[in-house]
Amino acid sequence: MASAGSVPGGALLDLFPSRDAGSFGRRLKRARGARIPVTIVTGFLGAGKTTLVRRFLATAQGAGTAVVVNEFGSVGIDNALLRGSTDQITLLGNGCLCCNTRSDLQIALRGLVAERDQGRVPQFRRILIETSGLADPGPILQTFATDRALGGEFHVEVLLAVVDAAAGLDTLAWSAEARKQVILADRLAVSKCDLVSAQNVEGLVERLRLLNPRAAIHSCVDGNLDPHWLVEADAGAGALRAGFVAESDHSDDISSFVVTDAAPIAWEVFARSMETLIALRGRDLLRVKGFLNVTGCRGPVVVHMVQHLAHPPVELAAWPDGNRATRLVFITRNVPERDVRNLFTAVTALSVADGLHRTAGLD
Amino acid sequence: MTAAEVSPLQTGRYAPVTWNFNLIAQHALDGFGGMGEGMSIQIAPDGRRILWLAHESAPKNFTAVDVSDPRKPKVVVQTDLPQAHMRSNSLETCGNLMAVAYQTQKKGLQPAGFELFDISTPEHPKSISFFDCSGPGSRGVHQLWFCDGEYVHTASGAPDFTPTHPNDDQFYRCIDVRNPAKPVEIGRWWMPGTRQGDNVMPPPRHPLDKGYRAHNTNVYPQRGDRCYLAYIDGGMFILDISDKANPKQISRWTNSPPYTGFMHTVVPLFDRGLMLVTDESTENNAKDWPKLIWVLDAREEANLVPISTCPMPDHRAYAAAGRFGAHNIHENVPLPTVWQSDQIVLGTFFNGGLRAYDISNPYQPKEVGVFVPPAPPMAPTGTIQLNDVFVDEREIVYTVDRHVGGLYILEMDF
Repeated sequence: MASAGSVPGGALLDLFPSRDAGSFGRRLKRARGARIPVTIVTGFLGAGKTTLVRRFLATAQGAGTAVVVNEFGSVGIDNALLRGSTDQITLLGNGCLCCNTRSDLQIALRGLVAERDQGRVPQFRRILIETSGLADPGPILQTFATDRALGGEFHVEVLLAVVDAAAGLDTLAWSAEARKQVILADRLAVSKCDLVSAQNVEGLVERLRLLNPRAAIHSCVDGNLDPHWLVEADAGAGALRAGFVAESDHSDDISSFVVTDAAPIAWEVFARSMETLIALRGRDLLRVKGFLNVTGCRGPVVVHMVQHLAHPPVELAAWPDGNRATRLVFITRNVPERDVRNLFTAVTALSVADGLHRTAGLD
Repeated sequence: MTAAEVSPLQTGRYAPVTWNFNLIAQHALDGFGGMGEGMSIQIAPDGRRILWLAHESAPKNFTAVDVSDPRKPKVVVQTDLPQAHMRSNSLETCGNLMAVAYQTQKKGLQPAGFELFDISTPEHPKSISFFDCSGPGSRGVHQLWFCDGEYVHTASGAPDFTPTHPNDDQFYRCIDVRNPAKPVEIGRWWMPGTRQGDNVMPPPRHPLDKGYRAHNTNVYPQRGDRCYLAYIDGGMFILDISDKANPKQISRWTNSPPYTGFMHTVVPLFDRGLMLVTDESTENNAKDWPKLIWVLDAREEANLVPISTCPMPDHRAYAAAGRFGAHNIHENVPLPTVWQSDQIVLGTFFNGGLRAYDISNPYQPKEVGVFVPPAPPMAPTGTIQLNDVFVDEREIVYTVDRHVGGLYILEMDF
């Protein structure tokens, strides 16, 4: 794991510097680089995750997907359903893997790669993790940030939360886990839309928009979701759609906001700011992700943090949309946007006083 | 492990895989898809982008493919060899000049040497001259390097060269082609002990005995006074060619024994002080495994230090049929139409396909892309045998099958 403040590059690269490399190593064509894409499907008990996963596996986009089922108390039903469903599941050779704890997930994922490299399981192109209905996806996201081996091999591309059109509003009202699933998701799928009136669906969608204004919301019947939504990442902070509400209040005191800034920031200033924020409020930074316009970098630096943990930053070869502005999504508990902005301003001022801003350029 | 649990790797099965590459076109080259290790791009006077390819064996000499639109490759011309007992195998273009190697199956035959062509009109390559290397102990030219329009650096025999061992017949020869109509040899170097009359003992033979002879003869403008010479069973050499008439050995590195010889290519990564060195797998069914891409710390050219190899998949999965192991890599040929990279290594591994490695951290090369296509129809080994790879400055990847599959065109996606 790299802390937010780790010096990009390092002693090894200094021995054999490449003019083509950026300060964060080889510039990647996309955030996942060459890593194995991971799709996480979350959603409350009975929301229709398994149906949706089964439909996805039957599509062209789902081919070559290895499925890992993260079970807490779903009594193996999901597992049994998946095992019998499609060829792609048998791709694993031994069916699905059940992971009761995070360390089991780590072991399962490492094992999959090792066995693939040894030719013991067929080549797979993607991992799909179906979480237990009661799971908070936060720890699963953390797993990919904490484990050096996993972080080097896997990249979480999509976190999709499935919400039941019929029971969703009720569940969201009483279950903190269900709310957390929605809040942390990159995309939302409203399932079982055929079972309720359009008006009810619209009511749920309104609630979802309040909880997670960033995420695209798709509706589906019988798990029939466009498979692209399970494989295509929003390009970094591309999750910021037009009409985004800059700050919105959630239940559980969770809010999300986007910090944008057209001016480049020195990496050291960003790292120092985030380290301060993490030291003070690490537990309350549920997710921070997006593009950073770093001084001296050609492309955006992709940043992804979960609580006090940070994925190693990577630089992309180019800005995907031509807009070079920093765009960082913060999902926080009781950490308002104003405080984050003030902190960055203060650290920038301190850095100017220290002369850091002059040396921080990565040219 | 019980019999019922025998893993696929022990059955020798291997599966096609495409990982972080996008195949955008494939061309069987009109039924003559057995390609060698000559791949070069010309921007023709009319603006077309032409990929010139040497065939691995008779009856075809070379094929030109219009890859202006890499999704729609079109064969422009395909030529026949003058004799069935020879192969071209290697070619390079520089502007509208193309040099094509000719190697005969047996010594003493002709034509053995290289031919220069004017390819201003790709449909009609016009012979300019032929540099004759034939002789009683010569098979001619196996491989050549030509990218400055002035000198052709060859792995060649010569009529006046009698090796101490018959397998050691090809050595480094530098040919001045500044007047393309009259190529002239201006310098040569051979490993001491391999020519009759040398005052040192001939080198000991390796078990597979592929010869102490030159293979790739790379020279780059960043160090125009150096030749990076792979010498098959002799390992590799850095030569000082500041005086082209008198090349001098600066350093040598070999991995054999304990490895099984056949060092093939040396590519310096000048900015980084690194060097890539490849072996060639020559034996079927992975009998000569492991054949590797080696990464050397070359900051001190007189003291080359191997620091890593590019990791390969378990050989048992690939041992079923045909060759498995390293061969050609993208060589950063110093021309504007060639992709230059010192962080990504692309290599062909016969039935191990095309593999890309990230060497950002040269101590830990990491595989970032794989392309193992299904065996082409009528493949004699029943597998793909990817033989060579070339990347143009658009980052389009071209790779060729040794026997029948022809040309595969891909995009890198990592």
